[in-house]
Amino acid sequence: MILQVERLAKSFFGLNVLNHISLSVAEHELLSIIGPNGSGKTTLFNVISGHLRPDGGTVTFAGADITGQPAHRIAVRGISRTFQDVRLFASLSVMDNLLLAVQQHQEDNLLGRFFQSRSVAAHERVAVERTREMLALINLEQYADFPAGQLSYGQRKLLQFGLAIIPDPSLLLLDEPAAAVNPTMINTIKQRIVDFNKQDKTVVLIEHNMDVVMDISHRILVMDYGEVIAEGPPEAIRHNPLVLEAYFGR
Amino acid sequence: MQTVQRGADSTIRRPFGFAPRSFGVWTVVGAVLVVVPQVIHDSFVLDVLILAGLYVGFALTYDLTVGYVGSLSLAHPAFFGIGAYVTGLLATKLHTPILVNLIAAAVLAALFAVAVGIPSFRLSEYSFAVGTLGFATVGQVVAQNWIDVTDGPLCVTNIPKPAIFVTIDSLPAFYYLMTAAAVLILLFMHRLIGSRIGRSFKAVRENEVMAESVGINPLKYKMLAFSLGAAGAAGIGTLYAYFIGIVCPTDLALTGTLTLLVILFIGGSGSLRGVVLGAILVTALPEFLRIGDQWRLLLYGVALLLIINFLPNGLEGLFHRRSRT
Repeated sequence: MILQVERLAKSFFGLNVLNHISLSVAEHELLSIIGPNGSGKTTLFNVISGHLRPDGGTVTFAGADITGQPAHRIAVRGISRTFQDVRLFASLSVMDNLLLAVQQHQEDNLLGRFFQSRSVAAHERVAVERTREMLALINLEQYADFPAGQLSYGQRKLLQFGLAIIPDPSLLLLDEPAAAVNPTMINTIKQRIVDFNKQDKTVVLIEHNMDVVMDISHRILVMDYGEVIAEGPPEAIRHNPLVLEAYFGR
Repeated sequence: MQTVQRGADSTIRRPFGFAPRSFGVWTVVGAVLVVVPQVIHDSFVLDVLILAGLYVGFALTYDLTVGYVGSLSLAHPAFFGIGAYVTGLLATKLHTPILVNLIAAAVLAALFAVAVGIPSFRLSEYSFAVGTLGFATVGQVVAQNWIDVTDGPLCVTNIPKPAIFVTIDSLPAFYYLMTAAAVLILLFMHRLIGSRIGRSFKAVRENEVMAESVGINPLKYKMLAFSLGAAGAAGIGTLYAYFIGIVCPTDLALTGTLTLLVILFIGGSGSLRGVVLGAILVTALPEFLRIGDQWRLLLYGVALLLIINFLPNGLEGLFHRRSRT
């Protein structure tokens, strides 16, 4: 297992958003997490990625306990994520956004960075090359010098996806990548997720678009009130009465 | 294909935010800076130019924290004061040379910045502003009341003139010293902002949560900017102490922060070119408006209001308008 979550708990003002939830994700798996709004999906991502500290429980990634570690350290360990509300470095160029994401994984000391040492310059060349490849992959080549905040919503979603995969993470957490995006763009995003997963990478996806979820997931996990209420392959989940009840009520 | 819009804060196409268009322009600027004291002998004008150089360096180091990592510091005059007092005391009591005093001032200010910054940054942006305000206030109180060391309101006086190969004791010599310091700080910032470090500064300013999720440690970069800025301010304080020859508790006054904030508003925070122009304008304008006699403060206020109204991004906005047309 690449990721194991054991009895993870998180509450806000007495409300248990994560109720001692446990789950595991196998290497190279494409797992989707679904559930009604407020069921704790994004909070689960926030705790795994270090943006929130849990009240209890543990998170183990690639055999190491990463519970409560700061987000930047977890990112460098190899967990990348996207956010439900698109987050970018708005006034920086698209190119610089991607460079920032790739360069944090290159080990250089501060003085070397300031004086542009030979190794830093070599890393910079690699980063620029990698960034250009990514721009081509997400179809934003002609926007390289464009301020990221001025891209269309769909393009910003693609850029955020690019930021998450450019460091070549072992585990990718995607929070509603297809939300509020037109059907053509959804297909592009879907294809990119599948392609990334095929490179022996693990993906955990939170998504409300059931076509996307049913189409690409190996396994689906359903959350409600901070707990796992069902899990299994897409076909089994589609007809699970507990899932229908969680979404539509009795 | 959509036209690529200019104006993105890019470190690839516009490496330092101050990209020289041609060597010619900068050669002319450099030549003018060198020639000025040879052709201008008016001590009032030279005084103003020295102060402008001082504020260019002071504002650039302040913008490192405010403009590049986006944290409001109110302690910059305190770091300036630390530099001035360290220099005044070392020069008068131990007769140490300028280089020793400069290094001592910068190191001490950076250490204070670390001590104030780490606890303040850990809480919230507001706590950082309040923490630095507290530090600035305490700094002035200490300078005022620690009479055994600072001579309190009597000030540290009779600071000897510095020597770098030759004694710097004339206005033209101080002009060259201050201009060299301002240019060095500008080049340092130029390099820093254009490097990977500068890109990380901007990421922290733009979106701290996102910065963390791509692997940037925001506290590390905020502390780096804050302590480098503090060291720079202390260095400027050292030169100020030598220039004025006297250091008083009022040199640490909070009003210094207001002047710096006006410079950033007028020039354009987060832009080296804007801050340089803002510092020159804010320093020189009230002095040259003295020709307006009792109307000068009114004229100064109106001029600032006009700039804020028509150039909401400061003087830097002028260049963006020009590039759009």
